[in-house]
Amino acid sequence: MNLLSSILISSLCALLVVIPASLVPTRTAHAGEGDAVIDPPTIPAGIAQEDSPPTELSPEDLKAIEDALAADAATVPAPAPPPPPSPMASFFQSMNPNLSLILDVALAAFSSRDPDQRGAHDPVRSGFNLQQLELHVDASVDPFFRFDANIVFALFGVEVEEAFITSLGFPAGLQMRAGQFLTRFGRRNPTHPHSWNFLDQPLVLGKFFGGEGNRGLGVELSWLMPTPWYAELLVSSTEAGGDCCNRSYRGSLDAPLSGPEDLLYTFALKQFFPFGADVGLNWGLSLQLGPNATGAGNRTMIAGTDLYLRYKPTGATGRTSLDVTVEALFRSRSLPGRVLQDVGLFAEARWLIDLSWAISARHEWVGGLADDPLDPEWTGARNRTSLAFDFYPSHFGRFRLQLASDAMAWRSEPVFGAMLGFEVVTGEHGSHGF
Amino acid sequence: MNGRRIQSLSFGLVATLLTTGLLSVTPARADLRIVATIPDLAAVAKAVGGDNVTVEALASASEDPHYVDPRPSFLPRLARADVLIAVGLQLEIGWLPPLLINARNSAIQVGGAGYIDASTFVSHKLQVPTMQIDRSMGDVHPGGNPHFHNAPAPMIEVARGLGERFASLDAKHAAAYRARARAFAAQLQAVADKTSTRLAKLPASKRRVVVFHDSFRYLIQWLGLEQVTTIEERPGIRPSPARVAAVMGTMRAMAARVIIQEVWHLDGVSRMLAQKAPGKLVKITGGVTTLTGEAYLAYLESLASEIIDALQ
Repeated sequence: MNLLSSILISSLCALLVVIPASLVPTRTAHAGEGDAVIDPPTIPAGIAQEDSPPTELSPEDLKAIEDALAADAATVPAPAPPPPPSPMASFFQSMNPNLSLILDVALAAFSSRDPDQRGAHDPVRSGFNLQQLELHVDASVDPFFRFDANIVFALFGVEVEEAFITSLGFPAGLQMRAGQFLTRFGRRNPTHPHSWNFLDQPLVLGKFFGGEGNRGLGVELSWLMPTPWYAELLVSSTEAGGDCCNRSYRGSLDAPLSGPEDLLYTFALKQFFPFGADVGLNWGLSLQLGPNATGAGNRTMIAGTDLYLRYKPTGATGRTSLDVTVEALFRSRSLPGRVLQDVGLFAEARWLIDLSWAISARHEWVGGLADDPLDPEWTGARNRTSLAFDFYPSHFGRFRLQLASDAMAWRSEPVFGAMLGFEVVTGEHGSHGF
Repeated sequence: MNGRRIQSLSFGLVATLLTTGLLSVTPARADLRIVATIPDLAAVAKAVGGDNVTVEALASASEDPHYVDPRPSFLPRLARADVLIAVGLQLEIGWLPPLLINARNSAIQVGGAGYIDASTFVSHKLQVPTMQIDRSMGDVHPGGNPHFHNAPAPMIEVARGLGERFASLDAKHAAAYRARARAFAAQLQAVADKTSTRLAKLPASKRRVVVFHDSFRYLIQWLGLEQVTTIEERPGIRPSPARVAAVMGTMRAMAARVIIQEVWHLDGVSRMLAQKAPGKLVKITGGVTTLTGEAYLAYLESLASEIIDALQ
C-alpha cells in the first residue's frame, strides 16, 4: 500500500475520533441571562420641579435604604439549582463504530544477526521493534449483520488484517462471515498478536501459513450444532494467494484462477467439554485443502488438532487461572514427481498468578526436509523454548519479558533471544473470547 | 485418498449435517427460556416469571462479573434462549459481546425483543459521570455504577420492568407476570422496611464504612451508611502502599470500623487494615447461589444483617 493511501486512511481514522468529540454539546453561561432589565427611575409626569424630592440623601435616608435592601435580600428566594446533568450527556450516544487502538513495541537482543523470526509482527532484530499498531473497528450494520475490521499500521505501511461482516440471526444455528479474515484453522491462527502469550508467532504457523497467519478474502459458513455441548462445524473458502498468508498454497503465484479448485478450503470441528465450573477443555480438528504454486494441479493439505485446557477456580481470590495449549499440524504437499510431508507443533502453559502477574512457558518443535523449495535451509528439526513474564499495571496495559533459546539443526549454535515488550490498549473496552 | 475425494466427502458430510440440523428444529414452547448474566437477575426473573419461565445464570456468585470466562458451553444456552437479561452499564462488556454474536440468536441481540438491559429500569443510577472521563481515572463505567443488584430499591424497579417485558413477550401469561412482579416488589419493600427499622437505632458515628472496590454505592445508600473511602484509589488499580496508609489514617480519624469487599478480591490489604485500624472485614459474595426469589430475599437480609452486626 503506498504512502498516499496510508495518509488517507490515517486521516479518515482521525476524523472518526475528532468528529464525535466535536458533537458533544457544550453549555456556555451567558452573563445576565434571565436577569430582569432595570430601567432608571423617572420622575412621574405632572410633578413640578419645585415639588421634586431633594437630590442629596440624608444619613437617615441612607440607613433606611440599607435596611430595606437587607430586608429584601433576606426574602429573595435562592436561585433554582441547576438541572441534574443528563446521563446521556456523559454516556455519549453515537452511530460511529467502536474504535480501539492497540500498540505493541518490543526491545530485543539476539545472539545472532539473523534470528530467523518467522512472524511478520515478531521482534525480528536487535533493537527497538514496532510490532504493530492495530486499529480495531466494530459496529452493528443493521439488525442482521455486524462489521469488524482490524487495520494494522507498521512504520512503513498499512495493511488490512481483517475486514468482514458477520451475520447475527441466520436460522438453525448458522452463521456467515464474509470479507477478509483469518481462517479459523486451529486455535492460535484466528487470533491477533496482542492476545498471544508470547511476543512472537509459533514457528509452525509461520512456516506452514506465513508471517501473517492464514487469512484471505472469502466467505465462511459455520453451524452451531444442536447438541447439549458446544460443537461447531465450519467451512470457509478463501483466496489461496500471498506469501504472507498462504505460502504453502499459491503463495506468490500471480496467475488468474482457473476455477473453484484454485481457492483454499478450510474445514474445522470445534468442541468444548466442561468439567465442572472450574475446568474446561476445547478440542479442535482442522483440515485445509488448496492448490500450491508448483503447477500441474498440485495441491497442499494441512491438517491439525488443537487442545486448550483451562483451569480457573471460580471461588478463588485474585482471578488466578492456568491454561495449557497444544497444537499440532501435519502438512502434505504434492510437487512434481514427489510428495513432501512435515510436521510441527507447539505446547504452551500460562499461569495467571493474579491481576498483575503471569508466567508462561512454551516449547516448539518443527521438522524439516531436505530439498524443500519453500524452506531450503530448514533441513532438520528446530526446537525453540521460550519463557515469558508478564506484568499488568492495569487491565489495559502489559509489560512482558521474554527469553528464548532456539536450536536449529542446520546451525552450529542455538540463537538466544531476550525481548522486553509493552502493549497498551486505548479506546472502547474490548472483549475477549475463551 | 486424494485431495478431490477428501473435498467431495467433506462437502457431503457438511450437507448431511446441515439437513439433519434443519429437520431437528424443535417446536415452539409455552414457557420463556431466560438466561441472565448474573445470579441475582436470574433469581428475580424466576420470582417474576414463576412456573412460566426457566432461568439460568452465566456467572456464578463467586465470580467477578467484570471478568467472567465466556465459556463455549454458554453458547447452546444462549442459542436456545428467548430472553437474555444483562446488568448493562458496560458491566459485561469484557465478555458478553462475543457470546452474543456467536449465539446466532437474533431474539437476544442488542435491540432484539428478548434482550433486556436491566439498568434501563433503574431510574436513579448512582455515580453517573458529569464530566469527561477517561482511563486515567481507572476502569470507570461511563454510564454510572452498575452494581445495583444488591439493594432493594433498584431491584424493585427491575422486577416491575421484567414483569412488563415478560408480559409483552408472553401475552398469554401477562397478567400473571405483572401480578408476580407487584408481589415481589412488595416483598422487596418489606425487606427494605425491616432493615430500616433495625438500623434506626444505630447512631451516625457507627455507620461509617470503607470499601475495597467502589461497587457498594446502592447497598450503602439502602442501609443509610457512609462510605468514607475506598481502598482502591482508582477502580481496577491495585492500591499503593501510600494509599493503604492513607486509608488507615482515614479509618482511624473517622472511626470507620467496617471494611466491605467482594470474595473475589485479594484480601491481604483488607485483613491488615482490619487488624491495624482496627476494624472488621465483611466479605460478601456476588449474589445468590439458588436462583429463586426466596433465595434472593434471604440473601439481601443476610447481607444487611452481616453488615449491621459488624457495625454494632
